[in-house]
Amino acid sequence: MLNIFFENSTRTRVSFELAAKRLGASLLNISISGSSVKKGETLIDTATTLNAMRPDILVVRHHSSGAPLLLSQHVDAAVINAGDGRHEHPTQALLDALTIKRTLGRIAGLKIAICGDINNSRVARSNMYLLSALGADVRFVSPSTLVSPFFSDIGIPVFTDMEQGIAGCEIVMMLRLQTERMEGREAPSQREYFQLFGLDSYKLQKAAPDALIMHPGPMNRGVEIDSKIADDNNKSLIRTQVELGVATRMACLEAIAGVKL
Amino acid sequence: MPRSNRWSKALTRTILKNGRIICPAENLDIVGDVIIEKDKIAYVGEKQVGNDKTNSIIDCDGLIVMPGAIDMRVQSADPGREHLESLSDLLAAAGNAGITQVISLPATSPVVDSAVMIDSLKLRASSYSGALFHLYGAMTQALDNKHMAELGMMAKAGAVGFANSLKSVEDTLLMRRIMTYAKMLNKPVIHHCSDPYLSNETDMNESETATRLGLIGAPALAETIILERDLNLVALTGCRYHAAHISTASSVAALRRAKNQGLQVTADTSPAYFLLNDKAVGDYNTAFRLDPPLRDEKDRLAIIEAIEDGTIDVIASDHHPIEMDKKMLPFGQASAGASSVETLLPLAFSLHHTSNISLSRIINALSVAPAEAISLPIPKLAIGEQANITIINLSSSDVIRGANFMSQCQITPFEHYLIDSKVVGCFVNGISVMK
Repeated sequence: MLNIFFENSTRTRVSFELAAKRLGASLLNISISGSSVKKGETLIDTATTLNAMRPDILVVRHHSSGAPLLLSQHVDAAVINAGDGRHEHPTQALLDALTIKRTLGRIAGLKIAICGDINNSRVARSNMYLLSALGADVRFVSPSTLVSPFFSDIGIPVFTDMEQGIAGCEIVMMLRLQTERMEGREAPSQREYFQLFGLDSYKLQKAAPDALIMHPGPMNRGVEIDSKIADDNNKSLIRTQVELGVATRMACLEAIAGVKL
Repeated sequence: MPRSNRWSKALTRTILKNGRIICPAENLDIVGDVIIEKDKIAYVGEKQVGNDKTNSIIDCDGLIVMPGAIDMRVQSADPGREHLESLSDLLAAAGNAGITQVISLPATSPVVDSAVMIDSLKLRASSYSGALFHLYGAMTQALDNKHMAELGMMAKAGAVGFANSLKSVEDTLLMRRIMTYAKMLNKPVIHHCSDPYLSNETDMNESETATRLGLIGAPALAETIILERDLNLVALTGCRYHAAHISTASSVAALRRAKNQGLQVTADTSPAYFLLNDKAVGDYNTAFRLDPPLRDEKDRLAIIEAIEDGTIDVIASDHHPIEMDKKMLPFGQASAGASSVETLLPLAFSLHHTSNISLSRIINALSVAPAEAISLPIPKLAIGEQANITIINLSSSDVIRGANFMSQCQITPFEHYLIDSKVVGCFVNGISVMK
């Protein structure tokens, strides 16, 4: 099994690595800085080269949307998308669903608000598909500059008022926002962003009484989420997400490898 | 002309027999014969002619005989990327695809921004067989969009107009000056319109598909905002202006208003914008990465309507060869462009089968309209005219395969696309240029 990360990641890479090791797979992490990608090799040539080494599974993280699909068309190995650009992050959605199911016992019928930089979030897109398919009532909460109006056409309600958006929600999932986007590009400043769209205990009162908080990490404390909430073990599922991440990825590997492992 | 002397010795008299002769410039639509003598048309009419002293008789029964097609939007890869497509390959491929004249854009390496570049390329082209070759000069030096190029010297060297690359001239004052200067030279300005702020770093049309795929979208208005600005400058300067590869409904509306105001404005589009929409990008296939990007279905329908009513005058190929390694990349990193000179005519004539657009209008958009836009002699099927003639079979089913292209670049968004027409003959100055 090869872990190929064209983009930096700590938790997803380690999570896949642990999952593979616990299942007894032999694993190689491909370091990008030393790879021929930096020397101008195309993704397809990289894929062909790796394919010749006959791996069974490739775990791919790439900064371009659609890159794992392109790679999968040129290799015999099974390809797991570990996050591609703004497109999807399917194992994150699976672990989020598992976290919710383990904690609340159900997903169908829950009101789930996904809040933050929706446009640039692959986590938001994967959860939009998965949690909706599992019967949850998913909505997006975001400044209007960070959420495409086309999400409404896809069928996801979009709120630009945080308090309205999370009203009555059992799950509030916060997304990371890159700091440069809050310095005058998509939002005027970090403090304005926190005031309007950061999750603090005051805004959280609008959610359902026992609402739970999720975050795919890494967090910007004090920007999209108040530290007190993030660290409140009665409200925050963030550590559970990480823990179940390994289990989810073990399940994915086993399902894909079948009898091989 | 050295070209005709060189190639026409062998052939003196050819009869195109019993074809359906359609000539929009002469308002002609008859069944009859055309005689080509040396490089000129010697006869056009319904009367059957005898075969005396004829070298070649071509049975055109059931075929369309039209004035030679002109492709006014082709980017030659030569000089600079000859490995991709040399000038002689381009002209041969165009001729073989029924195109008698091509006009090449200036984004070569070096850029066509001086008289010497025009002289040298025209000289080289004159020794190649296939389509005739014309050039646009660059509007700005090295296409920097900052400094006006030597438009006057290029005009003297034979530039048919002035064009930019796939980046619009952003500076409104510079655009005004270029238009004013081009007006003095009586040459048209051909502009690719896209607002750089709205379109830089984008991957495709802003749409539900882009949102689902996690690709960055440019709104259709990125095209229209620059077009509207340009149309206002046309009103101010009186320049002849041609809007390149129009792709959106809002641009069509802007053009319609400008034409109703009586401005000297023309426009073209290419088959991708009336046959495909942005849903085609669905599996990140980089063959569908074009500039302008494929648009909405409503845009596509507006483009067809605009061709029908003449708001869009010209259908051009937008031939823009790209190296395979620039396409074998994730969609967001791939280059825009495709090989399209060889599919122009069959795809344009597909409108005959799928829309209400008349044959005469399609032929006009492929011959008379481009000649008018850039002041080339109007292609006509009439006695004494240059024998530039294209022959089409409108009932010949085929499938487009990039692998069958003569061009080295075989990337096409129309791979496996079904077509109902086929180019069966092409004469340039009386010489058959089909392989």
